[in-house]
Amino acid sequence: MNSFFRIACYNVLSIIFAFTLAACASSATPEPDSKAGSSASPGSPGADGRAGEGARGGAKESDTGTSSLKQLQEGKSPVTPASSPMKDIYFGFDRYDLSADARTILRSNADWLKNNSSARVEIEGHCDDRGTNEYNLALGAKRAQAAREYLTTLGVAAARLSTISYGEEIPVCKEATESCWSQNRRARFVILQGRPTS
Amino acid sequence: MRKIFLGIFCFFILPSSAQAAVTGEIVGQGGQRFPIAVSPLKNLGVNTGESGRLSTGIADAMVHDLELSGWFKVIDRSAYIESAQGSGITLGSFDFKDWSTIGAEGLVKGGFSVQGDEITVELRLFDVYQNKERIGKRYTGRVRDFRRIAHKFVDEIINQFTGIPGVFNTRIAYVSTSGGRFKEIYVSHLDGSEKFQVTDNHTINLSPDWSPDGRSILYSSFKDRNQTLYLFELFSGKEIRFTPGAGGRYLSGRVSPDGQSIVATLESSGNTNLYLLDRSGKLIRQLTQDTGIEVSPAWSPDGKQIVYVSDRSGSPQLYILDLASGKSRRLTYSGSYNTSPEWSPRGDRIVYTGRVGGRFAIFTIAVDGGDPRRLTAESFDSEDPTWSPDGRFIAFSSNRAGRYHLYVMQAGGDNQRRLTGSGGDDTKPNWSPRLD
Repeated sequence: MNSFFRIACYNVLSIIFAFTLAACASSATPEPDSKAGSSASPGSPGADGRAGEGARGGAKESDTGTSSLKQLQEGKSPVTPASSPMKDIYFGFDRYDLSADARTILRSNADWLKNNSSARVEIEGHCDDRGTNEYNLALGAKRAQAAREYLTTLGVAAARLSTISYGEEIPVCKEATESCWSQNRRARFVILQGRPTS
Repeated sequence: MRKIFLGIFCFFILPSSAQAAVTGEIVGQGGQRFPIAVSPLKNLGVNTGESGRLSTGIADAMVHDLELSGWFKVIDRSAYIESAQGSGITLGSFDFKDWSTIGAEGLVKGGFSVQGDEITVELRLFDVYQNKERIGKRYTGRVRDFRRIAHKFVDEIINQFTGIPGVFNTRIAYVSTSGGRFKEIYVSHLDGSEKFQVTDNHTINLSPDWSPDGRSILYSSFKDRNQTLYLFELFSGKEIRFTPGAGGRYLSGRVSPDGQSIVATLESSGNTNLYLLDRSGKLIRQLTQDTGIEVSPAWSPDGKQIVYVSDRSGSPQLYILDLASGKSRRLTYSGSYNTSPEWSPRGDRIVYTGRVGGRFAIFTIAVDGGDPRRLTAESFDSEDPTWSPDGRFIAFSSNRAGRYHLYVMQAGGDNQRRLTGSGGDDTKPNWSPRLD
């Protein structure tokens, strides 16, 4: 018979007669009063002076000027509206090189930036939801940076362009199909200030 | 600040308990499961409205753990002959034949009494064939934490059988969208009980990592818009924000085995590299210098090496960095997409996510790069593996039931069982160390 106990019994049994072994450490149970997220952290209060930070307090935001994170918070789709002067560009799976189509769109985006010289843009890198979150955060950063570098070679001042990666975290669609994945592998251009008044 | 209770129970080894010293694993892959019965507990105190719930609740929690381990076949309660409330819980006060008749070789019996909001639980493990008691313990704790007493006793049972305590008095930290469209971090026991929401900032919170003392969670968040790391103390509710240098962003981090340092992924100008930080987030030194992607670091148990992901070969692959020499060696060569490694607490293997046939699966590989094994099927995705503190189990997330849920399996891939079923996607599990 297959008794574990039998196996156990063939070993030396150490019989322990103990009445008390551990002292009781009774812990007080303070009730939670707030969660990690809602509190100010005791570390540095986050003023790192990045271009992107200015968008929070400064620029007014519209559809073309709202970060995908804010869209998510407001329950809105992070899809770039057709009316935006800055169009999204798209990437292959696990790629961050620029396709011919992406370069064409970037040239058009660069023209708009040159005609709107006070505009500052935050370039968001996004990924489809396949693969791991951390790798996709890094991949999204590569995509945003590739777009930024190409825009600067076209003559847009680098200081006007900041980048952020949302990895796979803020998709425009959630179906497990290539047509949806391809829409999520994108760089998006959020106009922080100096938008046309039209 | 929000805080968590990770209380300590008094426990006493009851007189006449016997402990067997057994070493090695008795049941391996595909081994026969040991038939055990877990009787509902006898109420030794005054009957109250919740006596019935406690009687079966403690037994249910033990059944859950024993099944999850994969080493036991728990005999269904409907087959039990004796009445739990009518028979005794000590040797000689019940008939072993009632249990051998239904095929039980092991038997767990116990009793409890409630005084105010405190519960005392006595649990015993019997050998039905030998008619002997193997373990007897008495625990005291808060009534609402009764499941934790069950988890602790199952850890004792597993120690009796395998020579190494079980891992059921542990918690899992994970990311969930169960509260809506945001990704928040939660911790809970393996059975989903004592669920605690760590973040509630309505943004994206990722990559939770337990400190080795089980007291803090390191995680990354977009709550201050630019992603960075936060170290949250569960007991005090205190939190430290890690501020990267100008233009940088921390994507993730892992606390070292000695708890004194952190390896973090820092992104700057599109490049990601690994950096060593102290516990307060102060930069100690840069560990990798590459123009590509370097992410997902994980420590070796001795803290001397770090396994991580790099795309320097053209696709994401695993590499091992030796901290003393600063040199990296490539670990994985098969497959075009290998990510999210974690080093076994035993030190011998590394678990990771690999892409195969357009799907993601969990693999392990020996530290020298030999003997890669796929543990999950190709017909769905399985990702984000994490080792149990004893190295005998792996938790992971999978979409095999539609949405992503957390699962656990034996380290060889056997006995894959679902842990969570929230209304959202549960991902990125990180297994705590053993807790008090």
